[in-house]
Amino acid sequence: MKKGISIISVICFLAITSSLFAQDKQDNISPGRKQAIDSLALEKVRDLSKYISIIGDKKTQWSEAQRVIERAMELFMENSEIGVSSLSRPDVTNYKIRAYFDRLMQLNYDRVNIDWYKIQYVSDLERQPDGTYVGVITIYQRFQGFDKEKGLIYEDTTKKDITVYVKRKETQIGGRLIGFWDVLLGDIRVKETSK
Amino acid sequence: MRTFAVIFLFSLPITLFCQNGSIGDFTPDESIFYAQTKQVNQFFRRFNAEEDAKGKRFYSKDSTFRDLKSRKKFLNIIFDNSNGLISNAEKNDFIELVTNKKSPVFLDFHGNNWFAEVTSSFIYKKEKVNIILYLKLEHQNLGYKWVFSNVYFTNFNEYFSHLGDTSNLQMILHPLSHEIDFMNIHKVFEDPGNLDYYLERNYIPDQLALFVAEMKNGNLKFEAVKNVKFHFFQVQGWYFEVSYFNRNEANSGWLISNMIKINTKDKKELIRNYTHDN
Repeated sequence: MKKGISIISVICFLAITSSLFAQDKQDNISPGRKQAIDSLALEKVRDLSKYISIIGDKKTQWSEAQRVIERAMELFMENSEIGVSSLSRPDVTNYKIRAYFDRLMQLNYDRVNIDWYKIQYVSDLERQPDGTYVGVITIYQRFQGFDKEKGLIYEDTTKKDITVYVKRKETQIGGRLIGFWDVLLGDIRVKETSK
Repeated sequence: MRTFAVIFLFSLPITLFCQNGSIGDFTPDESIFYAQTKQVNQFFRRFNAEEDAKGKRFYSKDSTFRDLKSRKKFLNIIFDNSNGLISNAEKNDFIELVTNKKSPVFLDFHGNNWFAEVTSSFIYKKEKVNIILYLKLEHQNLGYKWVFSNVYFTNFNEYFSHLGDTSNLQMILHPLSHEIDFMNIHKVFEDPGNLDYYLERNYIPDQLALFVAEMKNGNLKFEAVKNVKFHFFQVQGWYFEVSYFNRNEANSGWLISNMIKINTKDKKELIRNYTHDN
């Protein structure tokens, strides 16, 4: 059902920018279309940021966090992972997306602050052998963990490089075939930035 | 004009940002993140002046696309400033060459002559070891993919430590062995540690083949990526290396970490050294 809503919202989005997509039968991505796809991808990244903040918030009830994790999982391609490194541990450790969210939910702080910097960098879209386009969006997050008595006990700023897959798909609405670009998130590389 | 102003701001010491706390809408951290070359993709775009200071893409129909003046400014911020090995004279020569009005040089993502060096940790015979993986982009069907072009693992060298050793006069198959149907060949295999004495002198060991065999046999187990850098040979007469600098200043991210002026012969030698090809 949620997937259905998600597809319909994608189609609505494309309808708004119909001039960019009208009668498109080609797979090449023009600058105008690229901008529209970037917006769609950034929308998904913003959703992810919002979900991470809710999952990490200690005030979020367990059942609500579980619901949000499910929503967040819908943003991703199957088998996506998060590769994490820190300044003290430069080796990249990979987690399955769900395991990462579970860890985030179970962090042992009384209160956490998750802020997102107003900056994002969107790469070009490159085609892989099957024709799917791949891009990377970079965003930055500040995390603060508080203890009831000691106050701020942990703080880091991380750079998140998020893989974005863009695929041309078709759906039938009212007997008509309508093409749209489907965007899904993939592997995420999380790097702690220098303090 | 506004673009140049922002680039100019990036070139100022970061202390300037700290004094005021923020510039426009940005906190000091955000100013650093804007200045930082955040992706290899951005390194390409900055090198070619295919985006503005905020990372907005320019396309070939835009008047600002590959603009010469902004290229010169961008090229100045994609060098690691802390690297004393790259002299200002060399840097200027390089920038002059690639921004030459008649024949400018641009980097091409699909243009070959660049490759990735990925240092990774593996477990080999219960011991943690580092192996360097070399990858390059390869075209296939509708797009591209990264493929392994070589690996380098010091332990593999030990298998071939006697290669080309002409001082050994004992461990040989005598020249009439064929007349006895090589019945003496079993002696070679009874002492596998010295097998490499029996190889042709100019044999070039294939580390990639060994790597695949060891992985498939379960003797090597991947642990983690430790470091990534890139080697570029796309600018004729020059080699440069791009590495990631994780530091809290504007001059950070993917930057030129090494640069050497080279001729064609040097180029081959350098590629051979970097890829450990023989």
